[in-house]
Amino acid sequence: MRRAKIRISRFNPDIDKTPYWQEYQVPWEKGDTVLGALIYIYEELDPTLAFRFGCRYKKCGLCAVEVEGRPRLACLAGLKKEMEVSPLRNLPIARDLAIDRGFFYHRLAELKLYIPEQESMKWPAVIKEGIQHKRLIGCVECLSCLSACPHYDYRDTTFGGPYLFVKLAQLHFDSRDKIDRRFQARTLGIERCKGCRYWGRCVPCTSGIPIFKDAIRPLS
Amino acid sequence: MRGEAFQDNFLGKVKKAILDWKINGFVLFNRLMETRDFDVICIGAGGAGVAAAVSAARAGARVAVLSKEPIGYGDTRISKGVMAYAGLYPGDSPGEFYRDLIQGGEHLNDGDLARTVSQETALAVLTIEGFGHLFCRDEGGRITSEVLSPAGGHRFPRGLISPSEGVSMGNALRAAIARAGIAVFEETMAVKLYSEEGRIHGLLALHLLSGEAVFFRAASVVLATGGAGWLYYPHTDCLQSATGDGFSLAYEAGAELIDMEQVQFIPFGITHPRPFIGLLCGEPATAGPFGRLLNNKGEVILEGINTMTRAQVARAICMEVERGGGTRHQGLILDLSPNLAHPKGLKAREKMKEIGIFEPVREAYGERAYDWEEPWDVSPTAHYHMGGIRADSEGRTGIKGLYAAGQAQGGIHGGNRLGSVSLAEVFIFGRRAGRSAAQSALGGVRGKINRVESLITADVQELKSLYGSRGSYRPIKLKRRLQELMWKKVGVLREEGKLKEALEELGELEALSRDLSISPIKRLNREVQDALELRMMLNVAKAMALSALERKESRGAHVRLDFPQRDDFGWRRNILVWKEGMEMKVRAEEVRN
Repeated sequence: MRRAKIRISRFNPDIDKTPYWQEYQVPWEKGDTVLGALIYIYEELDPTLAFRFGCRYKKCGLCAVEVEGRPRLACLAGLKKEMEVSPLRNLPIARDLAIDRGFFYHRLAELKLYIPEQESMKWPAVIKEGIQHKRLIGCVECLSCLSACPHYDYRDTTFGGPYLFVKLAQLHFDSRDKIDRRFQARTLGIERCKGCRYWGRCVPCTSGIPIFKDAIRPLS
Repeated sequence: MRGEAFQDNFLGKVKKAILDWKINGFVLFNRLMETRDFDVICIGAGGAGVAAAVSAARAGARVAVLSKEPIGYGDTRISKGVMAYAGLYPGDSPGEFYRDLIQGGEHLNDGDLARTVSQETALAVLTIEGFGHLFCRDEGGRITSEVLSPAGGHRFPRGLISPSEGVSMGNALRAAIARAGIAVFEETMAVKLYSEEGRIHGLLALHLLSGEAVFFRAASVVLATGGAGWLYYPHTDCLQSATGDGFSLAYEAGAELIDMEQVQFIPFGITHPRPFIGLLCGEPATAGPFGRLLNNKGEVILEGINTMTRAQVARAICMEVERGGGTRHQGLILDLSPNLAHPKGLKAREKMKEIGIFEPVREAYGERAYDWEEPWDVSPTAHYHMGGIRADSEGRTGIKGLYAAGQAQGGIHGGNRLGSVSLAEVFIFGRRAGRSAAQSALGGVRGKINRVESLITADVQELKSLYGSRGSYRPIKLKRRLQELMWKKVGVLREEGKLKEALEELGELEALSRDLSISPIKRLNREVQDALELRMMLNVAKAMALSALERKESRGAHVRLDFPQRDDFGWRRNILVWKEGMEMKVRAEEVRN
């Protein structure tokens, strides 16, 4: 049987000062994925490996990691003969490959990232939904964009980063929303995007959302 | 918010707890663990849990939501986002919908529950759109009969489509919880409910991120924990957290489970390669008018698939595989190409692509299969649990203060769930359960926590002893054995011999599950979660096998090879499972109309 060599970044904030690499060898068949390899390692080689997954097919966004230094959904990333897997960058690490996601829920509440309560109705409202909104709400919140963003750091709350700009844009294009989301984007430092080397295209999105075109530009 | 407290070190936690105590006055703190006090606690943060939490908060209750995953991450989020809306299509009405539900459920449905669903679908649409979701509309921005898509078992088109499947619903759920200012405890797993004299007092939970135990005191608890598809992994398209926790918690607390043998296997799941086994790739309605199923010799096994129920098609596939007609991957071949020669078939393909149900086909089998030009391999996959906790249309179980909603609740769909009804039902019963849980909590008298304190202390010690326990078996290995056993012996086709073997093996696994080996790491210890889930899964599996053994007929999703016929004379009855002493009891009872 063919085998793949996979190097994984390990880190337990309670014990370790810095992350370190650990190498594993896993069986490798056609069609195998990085997520499959992580599950195999946990089951057969190392019970202490921490990672996240949920649906096994790009809907939950929980399994996002960096593969060879680029953010990918582990459930879709194909296994290669030799590869390196590390947690998403710029985000707090819970342990090993799992990032601490609790932070984002609190930002959601703080920034009021929701539409106002709807008046009690008897019939669904007449709402024209733009194509941008349709694309934007496909965001699975995998947070890959934050990992690839050159300006984002979770400790710096003055810059929202592409994920929050996508969330703001979802509401900006929702006719039911009443808050000035462009103003919010300015307070979250969207003008810093202008000096960015990714200006005009922004970072790649695992759900295929054109983040610059649909979120950064309309908000800035 | 409050969940952050767990991550602090011990001293920090003491400070925080004292602070909480000063602020709230009523929050107890004992040296063992954090104690928190709420009126209503919702376990699970998918559609039903969030709808329940929001409606309980609106009724004035202090509400908390507990979720193993982040808020909004349940099977709602990974669903196809197709939701039933009855009474809009010309000729359709709640009455017609009710008839379809009963017909589809093969007369096992609880009449009250089915009637409630049939009457309140519009309310469900308003609820999730009010949270922030939007369904696909016509060019004028209206929801009209033209945007409705047909689904198997429905005599009228009733399916509202979502532009990005369930993802935007999941996001809307997170938004709704934030908007309502509800306390959230993410990555927190409920371990045990405490009741006294038939009334709920509270529950013990484990914060998975920190490894700390927390006691939640509450007058009402809503179980919205979803189903148990993960009992069949990898033959399931459910989220990995669908381990039947609510079924087990309710059972242990003394509530009844109904028709646990009724598990929906959706007929079209991916069979290979390995990582994609079990992922959903269609249902009967998506086969178009001319789709057909072939066996390994190329013989046609089934035609006219799109008019059949999920149960009928799943059964046909497994029967043929059992007869030796299966492919290398233990499935049959789904050939949708005949559709391409007909305008109706082509139209069906476009509609299905819009819903996005074939996405995994592209990844697993390639572009030509995705375009229906090439046939592909399919095998049934566990999708939904029709059985579950017995509760009335207000979510009330037999235990005072204990409520159930969504997939965790049983009896709504009888022996077979029609596509798109689940997403409507989670909001209907979530809303109702939340409201009545709040009313009962705000009006009721509370038991004194100290009466069960010694019991809780023992449970916490036991929970803590899991970390670093040096037994013989890894929990994940036992979990995998249980899953294989369920697929092979309590799967799509059942018979007495295999079910009895299953029960025996489950007993063995239960014994082994007391001898576990677990790493001592406190932070995000997956093995501890596996151990706790394994216990719950063992209860659920046993309830399922026992119910399946009891139902001596084939009805709905339950197929007995030794009793292949439906027996309307003897078996228009529900099967109930409950705990008496240390024993699992089972009985059959006339269906409530």
